Amino acid sequence: MRLREPANRVSPRAKSMWRIGAVSEGTFTGVAVAIGLRFAFDVTPTWWAVVLALLAIIIYSVAVPEWRYRVHRWEVTDTAAYTQKGWWSRERRIAPMSRIQTVDFTEGAIERLFGLASVTITTASAAGALSIDALRRDDALALVDELTHAADADEGDAT
Amino acid sequence: MSIDGPPPVNLYGQPFVEPPQPENDAAGWQRLDPRMLAVLPAREVIRFLPALLVIFFAGSASGGSGWQFLGILVPVALGVYRYYTTSYRIGDARVELRSGAINRRATTVQLDRVRTVDLSAELLQRLFGLVTLKIGTATGGGDGDRLDLDGLPAERGARLRDQLLGRVAATDLGEADDAPDAVEAPAPEVEITRFRGRWLRYAPLTSLGLAIAGGLFGLAAQFGQMADVGDRLADSEASAVSVPGPVLIGGIVVVVATMIVVFAVAGYAVTNWAFRLTRRDDSFVVRRGLFTTREITLDADRVAGASLIEGLGVRAAGGARLQAIVTGLDATESGSAVLVPPAPAHESTHAAGRVLGDDTPATTELVDHGPAAARRRRVRALVPASLLVGAVVIAVALSDLSWWWLLIATPLLPAAAALAADRVRSLGHTLGDGILTSRSGSVVRQRDMLHVEHVIGWNLRATWFQRRQGLVTLVGTTAGGSQRITVLDVPEDLAVAVADRATPGLVDQFASAAAD
Repeated sequence: MRLREPANRVSPRAKSMWRIGAVSEGTFTGVAVAIGLRFAFDVTPTWWAVVLALLAIIIYSVAVPEWRYRVHRWEVTDTAAYTQKGWWSRERRIAPMSRIQTVDFTEGAIERLFGLASVTITTASAAGALSIDALRRDDALALVDELTHAADADEGDAT
Repeated sequence: MSIDGPPPVNLYGQPFVEPPQPENDAAGWQRLDPRMLAVLPAREVIRFLPALLVIFFAGSASGGSGWQFLGILVPVALGVYRYYTTSYRIGDARVELRSGAINRRATTVQLDRVRTVDLSAELLQRLFGLVTLKIGTATGGGDGDRLDLDGLPAERGARLRDQLLGRVAATDLGEADDAPDAVEAPAPEVEITRFRGRWLRYAPLTSLGLAIAGGLFGLAAQFGQMADVGDRLADSEASAVSVPGPVLIGGIVVVVATMIVVFAVAGYAVTNWAFRLTRRDDSFVVRRGLFTTREITLDADRVAGASLIEGLGVRAAGGARLQAIVTGLDATESGSAVLVPPAPAHESTHAAGRVLGDDTPATTELVDHGPAAARRRRVRALVPASLLVGAVVIAVALSDLSWWWLLIATPLLPAAAALAADRVRSLGHTLGDGILTSRSGSVVRQRDMLHVEHVIGWNLRATWFQRRQGLVTLVGTTAGGSQRITVLDVPEDLAVAVADRATPGLVDQFASAAAD
């Protein structure tokens, strides 16, 4: 018996958001490294090193968000929540509805620009938190509603 | 508050409720036992001892007129001040502790959130028949409140401990509060295991022993460097030292080894002397300590499982230690979850059987994870070792690094091969009778045994390499200990089958009919 993928994807706008994040992260790191090399070790990066670095950033910003978008999926049923995340190290998490303790709705500054939001589900175990990033804002609100109603329906204190 | 307009509501549309007012009356506050008037100043004097000694010697050296003796008044006054400014109150729903007059601290613990109640007694307290009652409300994975009632008479402390734990159990079951004297005679205890002198032989073999060894070697190296021992040994003929070099080195090694053994054994004895693990009704009681005795009570409901841990040295001597997996106690508090310190393996496995309620998980054969997992163990052990040896070879060949390094580096390869073989043998899991058992590791081999009703959810993690080989690392999340039980590098269909058998109805709704 194997597990299939969760049914739903996150918003396609996630790719753009992750791309912008990757580009800015890569550029910032590259510039910081170049400055560091220049002033600490007195090494001026050659033109081909710069080209290589730019190539790496481009590949990272084009390929990885696409991969991440394909992998990041989620599904919620009557009895459980199921998520899949990660590009190199793929992690699938399943948590039963009856053991959900909190449902968090967060909108980072960049997420808000794209009209996206994240939902985090925590259980009594610190290792068992599920998170779904970059959902459309309305979808995220609807999901939070659905989860809190389902969790309310279950008795017990979910420890 | 005016009543114009709609009543205030919170995010869920429920009306605000005033929180219960704290009891501000001054009734019911008690001081610590009067005998603490002797213990607290003595404790402060010991704490201040280094400073006092400095003052004393400085004073005598400069020929002062006895002012240095006044220094002792400071810690004594501090101890007396602590006694008179500490008070506690045990109410129906909470325990409160107030301390200090200049810096006031008030700690409150709700009785229904109490998770652990332990007794401990330092040497000074034992002289006067006093104990410290430590109340903890640790919640899984986070900081909890701690409240220490530091100086109760021993019988009162024990009775209070039973009451608090009794109340906790009663609240869990939703029963009414019984009369406080319902717990009169202590419940009968069944002994599971107790300390024996021969357990001391495991002391130098533990990681603590190795740490002491490392520390002593570092110290010796530092000392040797300062005294130029190497040069001295080189011209031992020329100097007046009549002992030949090798004998001197041998002598030093023997002395250092003896010191390691002595320190390690002393450390083990101080922590674990008179160790006893017993079962009393529905809790496990651990008692240990030579100077400071501790008595830790673990509610059997909260003991989700146990881990049998064998460090390399201890395993070579046929020993193991047992640690409880306790819900509501996170990994940072693992010291209070010790069930058996390093002891003969049969003692630890016997205790594991009694704690789990089942003898098989501690000794049963485990399901092999297949050739792919074995390959991964071998690659992960041999590749770093090969790279290191390769680097040393290159360095010796190309630069003027001495040949000695090659002699030191080459044994790394067979050692890594042996490590890999041991890891392959150790890796395995099984699910039987509601207990999930998982074992892995070589230098520290750990067998985790968990009651599956304590598994909350499942994580299946696979790197790109693992996915190619059809392997996955299965993690069952729990609310206790390290918050998870890990089954490393297991074929995916086995992993899903285990998860499905352990928590029926959770995982099969996501199963795929055909293979991916």
